[in-house]
Amino acid sequence: MEQSSHVHYQNVDLTSSESMAVEDLSVEVDRRASKSGNTLNKKLREFALALLFLCPALAVFALFSYYPFFRAIFLSFNITNELGDPVKFVGLRYYQQILDFSDPQNEYLRSLLTSCAFALMVVAAEIICGLGMASLAMAKVRGIGVFRLIFTISIAISMASSSVIWSLIYDPTTNVTNWLINLLNLSQPGVLNNAETALACVAVMTVWSGLGFNFVITLAGMQAIPDELYESAALDGAGGWNKFRYITIPQLTPILLFLLVINTIQSFQAFTQFNVLMNGPGPNSATNVFVFAIFRSFWIDHRYGFASAMSIILFIILLILSAMQFFVVGRRIYYR
Amino acid sequence: MSMLTQSTPHNPVQQTASQQVKTAFTYIGLVLVSLVLLFPLFFALSIALQGQTIAPRLIPDLGSLDFSVFGTVLVQQPDLVRWIINSFVVSSLVTIGVLFTSALAAYAFSYLEFWGKQVFFVIILGTLMIPFEATIIPNFLLILHLNWNDSYQGLVVPFLASGFGIFLLRQYFLSIPRELQEAAKLDGCGHLRYLWSFILPLARPALATVALYTFLSTWNQFYWPLLVTDSSQWRTTQIGITIFHSNEVQILNTQMAATLIILIPTLLPLIFGQRQLIRGLTAGILK
Repeated sequence: MEQSSHVHYQNVDLTSSESMAVEDLSVEVDRRASKSGNTLNKKLREFALALLFLCPALAVFALFSYYPFFRAIFLSFNITNELGDPVKFVGLRYYQQILDFSDPQNEYLRSLLTSCAFALMVVAAEIICGLGMASLAMAKVRGIGVFRLIFTISIAISMASSSVIWSLIYDPTTNVTNWLINLLNLSQPGVLNNAETALACVAVMTVWSGLGFNFVITLAGMQAIPDELYESAALDGAGGWNKFRYITIPQLTPILLFLLVINTIQSFQAFTQFNVLMNGPGPNSATNVFVFAIFRSFWIDHRYGFASAMSIILFIILLILSAMQFFVVGRRIYYR
Repeated sequence: MSMLTQSTPHNPVQQTASQQVKTAFTYIGLVLVSLVLLFPLFFALSIALQGQTIAPRLIPDLGSLDFSVFGTVLVQQPDLVRWIINSFVVSSLVTIGVLFTSALAAYAFSYLEFWGKQVFFVIILGTLMIPFEATIIPNFLLILHLNWNDSYQGLVVPFLASGFGIFLLRQYFLSIPRELQEAAKLDGCGHLRYLWSFILPLARPALATVALYTFLSTWNQFYWPLLVTDSSQWRTTQIGITIFHSNEVQILNTQMAATLIILIPTLLPLIFGQRQLIRGLTAGILK
């Protein structure tokens, strides 16, 4: 024992570190402890050490994720005052009010529907355009790197900056969208001032902003498909479309599923573009998506309890969405 | 089999001709899509360089481009530099903090055996299921209560831990061979030293991924800084640029100039570090 620890010290001297020598001793103590069968002590020490390692992250999560989450649930059952403190317990009344299907004028249900319509437009367009762009960028031609970089570029442009740029594109004074107004025979200038086009315009802007990410992910997925699959399909006489239909799409399914989930969740959470482009609920509340309705009810109306109830409903929707997409859609793909 | 491969009746000349047509169409497609994608940026540049006009044109008069607008905007809105500094400080602090908390937690999950390990892991992953929107109201009230609005701590502290970061680093730490730890332990290397001198250098790619992702997403934050900053000097770039936009609605050229200046810090890394960025973005999605 004496000798072996001596050898250790020589090793440590080579790296010339005092703290290592100290830790060496503790390892020695450790070994002796386990030899004498005192494993409980070691377990406790390991647990304390683990807690020490985990505590910075756990503290942040406790304070800024779990506490506010449960606090939001609690607030959603209460009427709150200006400071956000509960003053009267009302149970599920807010939830009933938001999800009141009997009232055709229910602005909250309408706002949920607006969110759904927005998500549908954005997700479909992003995935289809991403697929198209990735297929184009798979071409083995000179200078393809430059084109791939251009296709990726919207990743580097924040939603706030692109919202500012697009709000000028949609601005009638810059004359960019006038052809569209003439084409659609719109009565008013400004596509964002029209209840029929406003949501679609925000969706177009959102798609542009999200294309970079969708392209990168789809391209990476396509590059991961083994060449042999295409070669053997070519031997069987498959043309370009058939290869795409019977090899690319099935092989990409997990990637497309991932994009479906993440894009849907992101469109339900979209806030920046609505705040910058519309700065309000939009013409005839056409762009009053659910997240924006939450924002208005606590930021402008100071109805913290009510807004909490809305945000919990949003949480449940997002939870169901991701669970549904992972389990229902996922199973169909693997068992086909 | 060989019959099949040889049976294609094209002669080589024809094949190259059709190949060339195909390449030409590919280029046409690539250029068209690029133009559509770049249009908003060209548009912003064009508006910025046209001088102060209420009736801008799509394509500016190339003879009279006004590059001084980039200087003018800095004079007109001196806080622009401050916003960029704020964004840098906040994003850097969050990134460093996330790397610190994630590395420690990920180490515990991959190298320590302790009671309740699974439970703690579920607690960490559970945070990924709680959307930001579900916590924002109590968080906002808490920040007001702590008097942390208009301060760096209000912008930084709530984001100092990341479930995604912990998960990604844990996956990477687990892929490092166990024998290394045994060897280090024999040499008397304790946990903290092992993490610092062996694991972190080896896990550099994963750390870079987490750092890049955290930095960019913090830089791009909009909702939270909108709530917790009031005065111009505490705004981050994203809030600053949108407030500038709504205050100067009529002055198109400085709006676009300010937007373009703010784009530079994220555009340059994409152009020069495209590969790393893409690796970072696709990490965890593709095996």
